[in-house]
Amino acid sequence: MLRADPLLRIELLMLASEAQDAALALARFGVFNPAPCALEALEESPAVAYREAWLEAQARLSKLLEQCGDTGPLNIPAEAEAPALADLEELNAWLKQAWTACLACHESEVQIAEARSHLDALEVTLARLERLNVDLAHLLHPDSLLAVNIGNLPVEGLKRVTEALAMTGHLVSRFDQVEGQVFAVIAGPRARQDEVRGLLAQAGWRELPVPDELRTHPQAARSWMEHERTRLNTQSGAACQIMDGLRDRFGPRLHEARLRLALARPLAEAALAGIRGRGGLAALSGWVPKRQMDGLRITLNAHFHGRYWLDMREPSADEVADVPSLVRYPGWLAPFVPLVKSYGIPRYGEFDPALPFAFTYLLLFGAMFGDIGHGAVILLLSAALYRRLGRMAWVGFAAGAVSMLFGLFYGSVFGYEDIIEPVWLSPLHDPIRVLIIAVGFGVGFIVFTLLVNTLNKWVSGRIGEALFDSTGLAGLAFYLGAVGLLASLAGVVDLAQPAGMLAALGMAVVAAFKWFEAKAGLGERILVTLIESLETAINLFSNTLSFMRVAAFSLNHVALALAIFTLANGLGAAGHWFTLVLGNIVIIVLEGGIVAIQALRLMYYEGFSRFFSGDGTEFVPLRLSSQQAKV
Amino acid sequence: MSAYLNTRVSLYSGRLWQDEALDALVGVPDEAMADTLTRSGLPQLAAAYAPEPGRQQDPRSLEQRIIAQILDETRVLIRPLSGAARSFLTFWTARFEISNVKTLLRSKMTGERPAAVLARLTPMGAFGRLDNQDLAHAENVGELLRRLEAGPYAGIVRHARRAFEQSRDPFSLDAALDHGYYEGLILRAQPLEDSVGAPFRSLMASLIDRINLVWLLRYRFNYRLPPAQVYYLLVGSRYSLPSSRLQELAALDSLEAVLAALPSALQIQLFGVTDIPGVFARMERAAAGQALRVLRASAPDIARAFAYLILRERDLRAVRAVLRGRHLGLAPADIRQALQRAPAEVS
Repeated sequence: MLRADPLLRIELLMLASEAQDAALALARFGVFNPAPCALEALEESPAVAYREAWLEAQARLSKLLEQCGDTGPLNIPAEAEAPALADLEELNAWLKQAWTACLACHESEVQIAEARSHLDALEVTLARLERLNVDLAHLLHPDSLLAVNIGNLPVEGLKRVTEALAMTGHLVSRFDQVEGQVFAVIAGPRARQDEVRGLLAQAGWRELPVPDELRTHPQAARSWMEHERTRLNTQSGAACQIMDGLRDRFGPRLHEARLRLALARPLAEAALAGIRGRGGLAALSGWVPKRQMDGLRITLNAHFHGRYWLDMREPSADEVADVPSLVRYPGWLAPFVPLVKSYGIPRYGEFDPALPFAFTYLLLFGAMFGDIGHGAVILLLSAALYRRLGRMAWVGFAAGAVSMLFGLFYGSVFGYEDIIEPVWLSPLHDPIRVLIIAVGFGVGFIVFTLLVNTLNKWVSGRIGEALFDSTGLAGLAFYLGAVGLLASLAGVVDLAQPAGMLAALGMAVVAAFKWFEAKAGLGERILVTLIESLETAINLFSNTLSFMRVAAFSLNHVALALAIFTLANGLGAAGHWFTLVLGNIVIIVLEGGIVAIQALRLMYYEGFSRFFSGDGTEFVPLRLSSQQAKV
Repeated sequence: MSAYLNTRVSLYSGRLWQDEALDALVGVPDEAMADTLTRSGLPQLAAAYAPEPGRQQDPRSLEQRIIAQILDETRVLIRPLSGAARSFLTFWTARFEISNVKTLLRSKMTGERPAAVLARLTPMGAFGRLDNQDLAHAENVGELLRRLEAGPYAGIVRHARRAFEQSRDPFSLDAALDHGYYEGLILRAQPLEDSVGAPFRSLMASLIDRINLVWLLRYRFNYRLPPAQVYYLLVGSRYSLPSSRLQELAALDSLEAVLAALPSALQIQLFGVTDIPGVFARMERAAAGQALRVLRASAPDIARAFAYLILRERDLRAVRAVLRGRHLGLAPADIRQALQRAPAEVS
């Protein structure tokens, strides 16, 4: 829980023809995280074609399912085998054929929809043409000198088309606009028609199919339009029938295709990390928890009866940064994990901060927002929104409960300080004590983070940094010494001399370490050492003072409530209660939100940034389902 | 914002390549190449020369690395920007994605497999707005265009699809995409030209005038398109070559006649040029000179940032030429001749 499971690096060599079954077995095993293969002798990539075929087939299947609807729940039989490359390619070819047929049908539906919309626009346009009393027969009469076209084009291109056509002696007369399309008549010398053909195509010009009847009698267009609509409806009906036929034809096999692609997924997914091979061999590489190696051997033996070679080793020092972190959290801690991961993933071997985060975050929230009433509202709201918030509702439950607990300590109920006696202290009446406790907590928290950082550095083999750096033991010695010195000066303890010596020793070690670490000329080295040593002191001091905000917010909570009571007391009965209710809502929403963010900020910047690089890699096992898959 | 961006641009300006440095790059030994490129602020390119032991070889092409470098720097520059300035620089990077769209369309025309085309696409990182995986798996050009029409470049693609449906000519697709992109760029530049003024306008003018003139010459004399179509395909411009002038130029019958009919400033710039690559090179050189002037002047921050990006891209194209020449085993003298990079001078 506080550290990632120890992992082993494995290289699994098997027959290339069984690679898909090996990947499937590892996916069923559930805790194999694939990684790039480092066996340089194997220079081929035998799974690339498999992945390519799988991706193509999967894309086609998704589109077909979109068209044909879901085929129901997918139950993968325990004994089912993954398809070989040839089977997968055959499946892919069938899916291509099925999708091409559906696509043609889909395209024809789109074209029918466009034709309908075009017909609607034409109907409006023809109605306007009728009112213009234009002799269309004369206008559209074929002429040896003049060519006339009626059509439409996108409105944004009209100006440019008009200018361009003017260069060839053509005129553009716009007579209507329906949505983004302009209807126009283009007239110009027939001899130069060839010059404008490419231009009109480029401009998206679409000729109107003006019926012969219209040329003699505009009203006759009505019957033509009706005829066109009937034709489109017939076409649409036929397209629907074809589509239904395709669904009936392809539907049953689609479910089988889904099953086979689900079985092929593990190898396709593992191929993304990189499977190497040579001749008839293939190698799968990755990470497996050390304690589950026996289980892995049992799984492999059951499937391959010794037709494999398994090599395993501990991660080497220079690859620790690439090793994924597998941390198992108990159910009650899981809701807090996303808050930690939003900062970053712990590196393999690093201390996992989820557990201290959960405790400290709740403690800080409760201390800053201690109120029995407000905490109860948060708790009840979290219960009410449980379905929507899912597991994150538990963070709300816990925050509400801790807020109620601190409300009991502070004696605060919806801002009232006189209903119950404080069990511990009242921030309003004892602010200095609250400040001292907050800073004291900050000192403890920073000491904890320095210790964790020392441990992390030690584990990762950076012994020098663990012992001598500003965030290691030397920094801790300086910090404890400085705190002791300040406490002595304030008269809390009498340790001035030893504390001062400890601080000086710590700082001297830090400065010496910075000096040796700086790879620069003498002047720059002096400057770097001075500035970085000074920065160490300033950072630790300012980080400690940051925790004063815990006290400030607990006082702020009381002060806000007082302000609301003052406002409410100046109003009548109705106004009084309205102000109290509204004021409490503002406190819960606004101040509650701010406190939640401030607690998170303290955790991230005063805590995590000191020991947690957050640049680790999450353990993502091969799985049969698409959930958590990297493909 | 201004102080940050100005400082950042000034720091980046130190990375621009002097001609001597480029000349020296031709002769740098292979083992010193990674170090030279890293010192010149090109870590993306250096990685190809000194891969970390045990790490997988970066499969990206030189072109992809260069664009990745430009995108990295653009990302840093737009960080403090908002509103029109941010929108403009973001759209400036979109031309790489439009290039991806063209690659995807061509792959559908040739029946190339998705994995092969995906490997050739430029990774856009944070600037990527298209789902390349989804697009690469479209079955044909029609499906691809429909999918693109449902995405962020709907306006550009809708027009291109219509043009393609009318003509079935791949050229019309490319031309419509380029045209749509530059019309969009001019639209986004308009508010900046109004607020930032002359320095920014001068950069846009150099860019759009060059594009219009080179396109005009290519369409007219290489592709033999009729004048009206050529004019239609050019970008609506308010700079040295406004629409009326472009109409006149498109109607002329020879490259010499077009060059002779240019405004006097452009005529001086292009004096002695006899072919279209020469026109491009000379105008690019003038644009680089203009960008250098804006960069060195106390111009507004967005103008300086844009000027830097123009110069940086020019530099990286030159670096690419050198690296490609070396990769092909060309003699240093041939690389230098092929480079033919005239220095950008501040007049």
